[in-house]
Amino acid sequence: MCGIIGYLGSADALPILRDGLSNLEYRGYDSAGIALGGDTVEVYKRAGELSALTEVLPETSTATMGIGHTRWSTHGEPTDANAHPHTNESGDVAVVHNGIIENYDALRSVLTERGHTFASDTDTEVVPHLLEEELESGRNLVDAVSAVVEKLEGNFALGVVAAGHDGIVATRRGNPLVLGYAEHGAFIASDVPAFVEHTRRVSYPEEGDVIHLTESEVSVYADGEAVSREIQEIEWDAEAAEKGGYKHYMLKEIHEQPTALRQAISGRIDEVKGEVDLEIDLPAEYLNSLAEIQFVACGTSYHAALYAADLLEEYADVRSSAEIASEYEFRGGRDPWRTLVVAVTQSGETADTLSALRRAKRAGARTLAVTNTLGSTVTREVDDTVFIRAGPEIGVAATKTFCSQVATLALLCVYVGRARGAMSSGDARALLSDLRGLPGAVQQVLDREEQVCVAAEEYGDGDAFFFIGRRLGAPVALEGALKLKEISYDHAEGFAAGELKHGPLALVTSETPVLAVLTGGSNAPETLNNVKEVESRGAPVIGCASDDVDAEKFVDEVFDVSDLGELEPLVANVYFQLFSYYVADLQGRSIDKPRNLAKSVTVE
Amino acid sequence: MKAVVLAAGEGMRLRPLTRTRPKPMLPIGNQPLLEHVLEAGREAGIDEFVFVVGYKRERIQSHFGDGDDWDVDIEYAVQETQLGTGHALLQAEPYINGSFIALNGDRIVEPSAISAVMRERRETGSPVMAVTRHRNPENYGVVELDGQRVRSIEEKPPAHTVKTDYINAGVYGLGASTFDEIRETDADGELAITTVLQAYRDALRPVRFDGLWLDVSYHWDILAVNSRMLDRTESSRAETASIHERATVVDGAAIAADVRIRPGATVLPGTSLGENVEIGSNAVLSNCVVLADATVDDGAVVRDCVVGENATVGANTTIEGGDTDVVVDGSVHSDVRLGGVVGDNTALGGNVTVSPGTVIGNDATVESGTIVSDWIENDAIVRRG
Repeated sequence: MCGIIGYLGSADALPILRDGLSNLEYRGYDSAGIALGGDTVEVYKRAGELSALTEVLPETSTATMGIGHTRWSTHGEPTDANAHPHTNESGDVAVVHNGIIENYDALRSVLTERGHTFASDTDTEVVPHLLEEELESGRNLVDAVSAVVEKLEGNFALGVVAAGHDGIVATRRGNPLVLGYAEHGAFIASDVPAFVEHTRRVSYPEEGDVIHLTESEVSVYADGEAVSREIQEIEWDAEAAEKGGYKHYMLKEIHEQPTALRQAISGRIDEVKGEVDLEIDLPAEYLNSLAEIQFVACGTSYHAALYAADLLEEYADVRSSAEIASEYEFRGGRDPWRTLVVAVTQSGETADTLSALRRAKRAGARTLAVTNTLGSTVTREVDDTVFIRAGPEIGVAATKTFCSQVATLALLCVYVGRARGAMSSGDARALLSDLRGLPGAVQQVLDREEQVCVAAEEYGDGDAFFFIGRRLGAPVALEGALKLKEISYDHAEGFAAGELKHGPLALVTSETPVLAVLTGGSNAPETLNNVKEVESRGAPVIGCASDDVDAEKFVDEVFDVSDLGELEPLVANVYFQLFSYYVADLQGRSIDKPRNLAKSVTVE
Repeated sequence: MKAVVLAAGEGMRLRPLTRTRPKPMLPIGNQPLLEHVLEAGREAGIDEFVFVVGYKRERIQSHFGDGDDWDVDIEYAVQETQLGTGHALLQAEPYINGSFIALNGDRIVEPSAISAVMRERRETGSPVMAVTRHRNPENYGVVELDGQRVRSIEEKPPAHTVKTDYINAGVYGLGASTFDEIRETDADGELAITTVLQAYRDALRPVRFDGLWLDVSYHWDILAVNSRMLDRTESSRAETASIHERATVVDGAAIAADVRIRPGATVLPGTSLGENVEIGSNAVLSNCVVLADATVDDGAVVRDCVVGENATVGANTTIEGGDTDVVVDGSVHSDVRLGGVVGDNTALGGNVTVSPGTVIGNDATVESGTIVSDWIENDAIVRRG
């Protein structure tokens, strides 16, 4: 899915297009570009998030028309060259495109024969070259676009500017396009959020319509005849539509976890053989020779890394640690040739993680990235990449990507463990079978949302919240606390449960709910002793517990976790996500965009 | 024209399956009923939908999102309490101006019925209702016609009073004035669309159609409708499914993504296997609807059965299937084909025997070697001896 936008009017186009693209980011954000039109056409484009584009955009521009594009690729590399807008050789004609041109191969060879040279691997680039030929034959821009569209097969929404030609021309077939009519100008866009700050008056072109935005008017042509399309007033909250009926992206993304998890493991598991295929090229001899795996990550990804490090030590028989990326140095006592450094980053752009990775590379270690974003910076800097396939995540608080990261890292654990001969096929089958069961177990939690909501109402007004767990429950305790604090602004801390008595217990009162991980994989019987400590000090206790843990006696509210071995703490985490969400929502917090925080932190 | 799709209902008769999902999300050929409705609407030329959701709406919203995957726009109107179809329709008012189509989200209907209603609405500007013939009209809204007029609409009248085969097909062509009419109609508690249309029946235009119209009222309907839809559609087999070369899977079965079918397993006609389902070695499935993430272990025989999400049917367990008598809400349904229903997350151990017509609730545990029948509650633990 991609997003396009175009603006022509009396205001400066640059800030309008930039903001419009940021509102279309939900449609993808792995590369972006803007073309400013007028007597000349200026194109700016970059792979990476919108912030990467912003760096190359001029501070200001007097241009009052332009087009923009933001992209989320599912195939192929997002590079600067493949980013939109695309132009002809001279750069006079610029095109943004959402969709697929199916016959581009044939068109491209014909154009190449006629002397055109191509700068990208995209299907889109045939369009500016075709347009150039039509314009040279003396047609105006509207006729040229109509003529080119005749030659295209597939689905598209297109926006075009050309130097020396009046206005912006757009058309659609099979892909969405909406026109917006503001007081200071007119818009084309893939979707209303792109311009909803400027106007709520819109019209929807029909299939095959060609639209011409000029300074004086917006004209729509069907089969060459001018037609009028009904202008409607949008009443609904445009952003709400993208949230698919959910109040916040975060809640939507929490509910997407079963699907995201199925994606994460799809096609990668062979349970019969107890093997994993991650499409990476880490030779068995290299994995066998490994002395250490270091994970580098920040925030939520760091918690996923902690989970993974524990699994790898347990099952792959290799010393493993998770390092906070901003603190990372390739320190003494280790052999770079026998150290694998794994960067875990959702966006693939996290500055702290990238810089840690570079330190590891300088030292000579082999590197691997685990990320959600195709073509992101991290993927270009590492030796191998494994994608978590969670799909775009918009809420600043990471939810589904944490789940998908841990699931993917568990696959990595089996991959490494098997290659090293440390894990029997039976052990591998057991862990893989638990991974298969993960989507269903998470769905079961989601089906109990009501229980969590009620608990949030009852315990949500605590002075502070403490999350505790052991072993695999410890990173989940940290993650639970992080989630709660970042969206509710309440004080929340996570501890390895045993640490409680070494200090933090002094803070525990009847006004500080304690949330405990009491599942398989988390030494639940021992954590239960810590639960007794806080319970005897009057603190309300919420426990995520599996059936075989006798939690009821000491825990005020029990959230059931079904039998899933080492992955039970990950299932418990979904309860913590929902709890955090409802605590924050009851306080009316800005859940998708918490104060002071950004989705992907690209500064150190 | 926009379409308002009523998808807020629970479907109590289909418990336990509807305890975790609304009725429109029950899968037929691995697609929710509601997706069949959406696709029929889209084929009839509708690309903007308003889903009226309520009960367990997260399931619907997570599946459909904003409609991009279907190239349509979906907006959601929420009906907080289920007060009838008329009240449900009213929730869509902020999203509608002008004529619109209203559809039930849990009835499979042919696109031609929808386009016929759209055409009639465009031509006449009157309220329009599609009617179709049914073998058991008394189970539905019976419509008595008088030429091009509707004489009466009666919801589930006693069978002996029914004088016609025509029933309300649940496809309407309406206008904004309908909302005022709903508000003006007196209602004690629930208010049905048909009550409102009945009050204004002089203007109501019936559109007759003979074509596909499938309703899912009882558990065995899920199997029958699933089987019927599989017959009608091309076989669907996801690329990521892995079927062992020594497994037998008939062409007509629907196999979703990441399904694994082990050596020697046999999947017979009428069967849909949802995403991430595992079928063990030498298991036999016939006329089954298996929901996502479920596991059928080695050697199990599962016939005429709905297996819930994330459920497990243990090794060598037998769900023998066939015709049986089932009691629902105190009335006996004779000779219906239902091997059983296994609720979501329920685990049947090894060597369990499930008598025909057994309905096992969600999250239940049935220990190995037991014989179960009738109705087993949610969260129950069935022990041997």
